[in-house]
Amino acid sequence: MIEIGELSLALSLAVSVYAAVASFWGGRANNDVLVRSGQNAYFALLGLLTAASAALLYAFVSRDFTVEYVYNYSNRDLAMFYTVSAFWAGQKGSLLLWAWMLSLFGTIAILQNRKKNRHIMPYVTGILAVSLIHFSSLMIFASPVFEKMTLIPPDGHGLNPMLQNPGMIFHPPTLYIGFVGFAIPFAFAMAALMRRQEGDIWIRSTRRWTIFSWFFLLMGNLLGANWAYVELGWGGYWAWDPVENASFMPWLVGTAYLHSVMIQEKKNMLKFWNVSLVATTFCLTMFGTFITRSGLISSVHSFGASTVGTQFGFFLILVVVFSVAMIALRRDMLQSENQLDSILSRESSFLFNNLILLGAAFAVMWGTTFPMISEAVRGVKITVGPPFFNIVMVPIGLFLLVLTGLCPLIAWRKASLDNLKRNFLIPFLAAVLGGAAMLALGMREFMAWLFFVAAVFVMATIVMEFIRGVRGRTAGGKENVLGGAYNLVARNKRRYGGYIIHAGMVAMFVGFTGNVWNQSVEASVKPGQQLKIGNYTVTYMGTEYSKPKPSVEEYVATLLLEQGGKKLGYLRPEKNFYHNLDQLSEEPPMPNSEVAIRSTLKEDVYVIFAALNDDNSATIKVLVNPLVIWLWIGGFIMGVGTIIAMWPDRREQKLLEAALAQTTTA
Amino acid sequence: MKKNQTKFLAGGIVIVGAVAYLMYMGIKETSVYYLTVSESQKMAGGKDFRMEGTVAPGSIKVAPDSLGAEFSITDQAKSVPVSYRGTMPDMFKDDIKVVVQGKLDQNGIFHAHTLLTSCPSKYEASEQGHPK
Repeated sequence: MIEIGELSLALSLAVSVYAAVASFWGGRANNDVLVRSGQNAYFALLGLLTAASAALLYAFVSRDFTVEYVYNYSNRDLAMFYTVSAFWAGQKGSLLLWAWMLSLFGTIAILQNRKKNRHIMPYVTGILAVSLIHFSSLMIFASPVFEKMTLIPPDGHGLNPMLQNPGMIFHPPTLYIGFVGFAIPFAFAMAALMRRQEGDIWIRSTRRWTIFSWFFLLMGNLLGANWAYVELGWGGYWAWDPVENASFMPWLVGTAYLHSVMIQEKKNMLKFWNVSLVATTFCLTMFGTFITRSGLISSVHSFGASTVGTQFGFFLILVVVFSVAMIALRRDMLQSENQLDSILSRESSFLFNNLILLGAAFAVMWGTTFPMISEAVRGVKITVGPPFFNIVMVPIGLFLLVLTGLCPLIAWRKASLDNLKRNFLIPFLAAVLGGAAMLALGMREFMAWLFFVAAVFVMATIVMEFIRGVRGRTAGGKENVLGGAYNLVARNKRRYGGYIIHAGMVAMFVGFTGNVWNQSVEASVKPGQQLKIGNYTVTYMGTEYSKPKPSVEEYVATLLLEQGGKKLGYLRPEKNFYHNLDQLSEEPPMPNSEVAIRSTLKEDVYVIFAALNDDNSATIKVLVNPLVIWLWIGGFIMGVGTIIAMWPDRREQKLLEAALAQTTTA
Repeated sequence: MKKNQTKFLAGGIVIVGAVAYLMYMGIKETSVYYLTVSESQKMAGGKDFRMEGTVAPGSIKVAPDSLGAEFSITDQAKSVPVSYRGTMPDMFKDDIKVVVQGKLDQNGIFHAHTLLTSCPSKYEASEQGHPK
């Protein structure tokens, strides 16, 4: 099987080179045979990479420890569930997963578009094939997936216990879907420039890909945050670590892009801007991978000075140079046909939203690369931690939240006083009333108060939009409220899907704001002793020991949780030790804490079992984290909104067809 | 550029300026030196900084309540004793790379309030300490 995998990878390098050459050449020479051959070669890449992935998966499932990667990331003890996920637990496998997704998404995009977008498809195929040359060569030379062990070990090294968590099964693939997905709009944008295809066809053709990738990038980050929260056991979900920032930056720019394309579709403006944004987003997905895997930036995630950094660096430079050159060469195509009229207009509010999102991405990049920059400029490494990001990102977040309420409702071209009054008077009053109520209830944290006031404002605008829309539909008496609401959303999927996504964003902001009231206490306690935090009392009852598997020892502490004298239940955080059964290894057992969390809509009680001491006491840390659950709820709401916004739409289809018909006759 | 476009330029400049100002303030107020053990000596008696090094094997003495430890970190050339108070990360053990943040006192003892261990990321280079 391993030989099949190696052979498939070798072939995929050759075939991707062929697919790129045939596609570009065929496109340039208008040679249909060559173009089709290039596309077929791309489909073959999907087959080859599927075979390579199957071979690796088989090696894992059959416990073939002669493969170095299988040896290092699994052992006989590992549950099948996690053995499968060990596929992407390390760099080599994750590169293969990435390449496989790229071949799959590319194949789907080619099949969707090869008829209607004949004009630019050879170039799209060519660009995607070039990316696959990069990945295939990485997996053959820099980071060989099927590398063999010199000794044949009886058992594997095992999967890091921290990665043995359901979050780790879904988080990496989700994030990769987001990263890989942005290659599609990028390829279309560049192909449209190369082919001098006027208009917004490339945007309309890839709108679904964009929102799909954007959503998965967000979910990938959110699942990572959730994994950190439940597994890493430090009580938080986001630490502004370079690895997190690396996947946050493309999301910020992707969000800007998602909004600004609407201006191009409606007003034929911002063409230059949109092409630049999609190119930047794609470059940032590469940049993130590059900085985190080249060892250039030290992160708490030890990526090690891995071998793929250099090639990723070169590929990144290639992509940046290519994008800048294409945009510069075709700048005549990117002239705006309209101008901004008024500062109080949807166009300008979108523009400001874009600037802020880009500013946020730039600030994150600056903070992330600051140690590198300061070392290069001043010869001394200076680092900024989470406080930097809090200073910068909290005001930016507040401003963005307010714009979430303003942007969708402000009139095109020039907002009149009437328009402003109609859309914003009630939300404004709601926010004022809400703010006063919060003050009356004793809220004293100014920043948190501002965020909540903004949240009330935005939610009021969204709710009003739904009410107004449903009223409009039921006015004639033909539709009841439910039917009206259904038709309203079904006929304007993109718009109302967008509102729902915004509502989810508001929920997430509520979750972030909860950080202001975080509390924690830590102490070592003997059985029967108590810890107090807020109005909670935590009583330590004792610890049980068990050895469920030869490689695992578990210590489970039992804690009674009470609030204001009322019994709420028991919390059972664990401290587990994972022994390395590998005969070749002499490493001490690896400790791993499993936290216990009691979540309510109001707050989480989060308990860490830090240590069991010699004097029979246990060291316990208890945190109260308000509103965290709203983050996960917000993510769920955004998922619903995204599905609605992505649902196939006939009217949109017609608009695209009309635009396509126009270019072929022109 | 037409006349009526200047206000957008002005709006843009205000936003860019505001973000730049936030970044400037952020850097000014939160940046700390990130030094190796050898470089750390000049910071004695001074401000908070971060120091990176490897935990000297056999040097860890965990506090009886497990809420802190004394240990040494080294970078081959030099070694500095560290006194840390707080929850111990799971991964903390001999011979691993750690980052501590705190102050170095006149006696050469580093008082750390933050102790970061390298997180066992999925991308950990397989060469590290595993026999092949």
